[in-house]
Amino acid sequence: MNVLRAWIEERLGLRAVTLFLEKKEVPRHKHTFLYYTGSSILLFLGIQIVTGVLLAFYYQPTLAEANASVVRIMTEMPLGWLVRSVHSWSATFMIALVFVHLLGIAFTKAYRKPREATWVTGVLLLGASLAFGFTGYLLPWDELSLAATKVGTNLPKALPVVGAWLTRVMRAGEDVTGDTVSRFFIFHVSVLPLAVMAFLGIHLFLVQRHGMSVPLEAERKGVKVPILPFWPNFAFREAGVWLVLLGLLMTIAVVAAPGIGPQADLMAPAPEGIKPEWYFLFMFQTLKLFPARVLGLNGELVAVLIMMAGMAALFLLPFIDNRPFARKGKVITVLAWAAFAYAVGMSIWSLL
Amino acid sequence: MKLPYSLFSRRAFLNSLIGGWLAALGAAFIGPLLKYIVPPTREPDQVSVPLADVKDMAPHTVKGFPWGNKPGLLKKTEEGDYIAFVGVCTHLDCNVKFVAEQRRFFCACHEGWYDENGLNVAGPPPAPLRRLAVSVEGEALIIKKQV
Amino acid sequence: MEPAVNGRLRVIAAAAIILLGSLVASGILEARVQEAPQASLKTAADNAQGQETPASPRPAKERMAVYILLAWVWLSIAVLLGILRMRVREADRVYSMGLDRAAEKAPKGPGH
Repeated sequence: MNVLRAWIEERLGLRAVTLFLEKKEVPRHKHTFLYYTGSSILLFLGIQIVTGVLLAFYYQPTLAEANASVVRIMTEMPLGWLVRSVHSWSATFMIALVFVHLLGIAFTKAYRKPREATWVTGVLLLGASLAFGFTGYLLPWDELSLAATKVGTNLPKALPVVGAWLTRVMRAGEDVTGDTVSRFFIFHVSVLPLAVMAFLGIHLFLVQRHGMSVPLEAERKGVKVPILPFWPNFAFREAGVWLVLLGLLMTIAVVAAPGIGPQADLMAPAPEGIKPEWYFLFMFQTLKLFPARVLGLNGELVAVLIMMAGMAALFLLPFIDNRPFARKGKVITVLAWAAFAYAVGMSIWSLL
Repeated sequence: MKLPYSLFSRRAFLNSLIGGWLAALGAAFIGPLLKYIVPPTREPDQVSVPLADVKDMAPHTVKGFPWGNKPGLLKKTEEGDYIAFVGVCTHLDCNVKFVAEQRRFFCACHEGWYDENGLNVAGPPPAPLRRLAVSVEGEALIIKKQV
Repeated sequence: MEPAVNGRLRVIAAAAIILLGSLVASGILEARVQEAPQASLKTAADNAQGQETPASPRPAKERMAVYILLAWVWLSIAVLLGILRMRVREADRVYSMGLDRAAEKAPKGPGH
């Protein structure tokens, strides 16, 4: 065994990595539990890749066969319904954890110098995760997913100049067709995974380089926070968290397995009660509430512009909040809480 | 036999216990996973061909019929009986064809030949063509797996 | 190790082997159940155009097998959490006693 290790070490020189991991430390304070969120996202991403590959063994991304192949997976393949259920629920878990991770970082202002680049790659990863959810939702090609995709891809049309063209790019044409399925499929299984690997690589490298951030008060007072060695103390705690999350995932996947609706009919009227996945609900509700015309401009355009401004603010947050300890920082914290309350409130409202 | 000291440390024991249990948990999922990856493609138990379609076959001619995902070959013999084969070469699974002029089955992949009873006579095939049992029931020909 | 702790660890080891064995066995049984369920699942194919195919019409034997597997998963998690807790407490003890850094502080032998 040691001979093998020496052989690998001589050629790959991984000792640097293991030495680094041995020395890695995790600050210990009342918000330490937030450090579990990042790796938990990675856990669910791994599960998505595995279950996704298994689903892709039998899924056929064509207009004629998409729905039928999903039905086949669910009824003919041994435990196919469970693979699909795990994939669907793990997506929800992963995106929920991405939001928790985002909120944790935002409210502890861990994005402050020198971690701005980490935040930026993080927001890109958030966008990729939401894109995964959006593209994946169409693939079963049932009534609900067709309607949700029609609405979703309609949004860019409100933008001037590029809007209609963007919609045509997303839909592979004027309307949602079989070409849209192919396009969404290749995004879902190839383009987005490559993008995520790239962003994640940078994100993880930066996290290791800068280490874990400490709470604001500690940094401001210059207090030295007690630490925990990453290996084995923190790592085994993390393993426990992962186990519980996996248990929850399996349980909910078994007892609340999703079904599949009838095949989408391009000519049929929209079904009642369509709504997007939960992570888009607040945007959905906002659009519903916007009046048709605002200050002489198209209501939908104003809504889309406001949403884009919000996304830009999120992306540039570390640069906007460049004085986190001053009063400006406190004001931004209040605004962040307000935005969070808005998103939650709108989501709940859309379900009523 | 009692040892004066332990053969391994408490730490190593606990690590092994964790690792071993995780491995078992993983192993419990291997079975279903393998079943999912390789689904059973069962052959049909029997196939029925309407007698009307094959009544007028001349002796020593062959007609194809679907046998699950594979091609089936129905042959009318000299005496007017029917015999059936699974039309898949026993060498490397290529589909065979009937060469009427020679009354033999031919596999183009590696030039294997079978005689009119499916016996492998030339080329690489190691075994005869698989036979299927044929019986006439009413207005249809029932073709079943041969026991 | 003191005899009391040694005995406890032996009991743990024995229980672990028995439970581990049953865990793997339940997985194999689960896989075996998958041989036969397809027949009753053909109802999906007959499903009329306008109907939703729920994930649920599964034969009773397969359903029981999945629930049993789920029970084993939770049992395993409970056991693993227990062992992990033991390991974490040991790691914390070692760290607070400074034992992992003690190797650096040890005086070097005569050859150095």
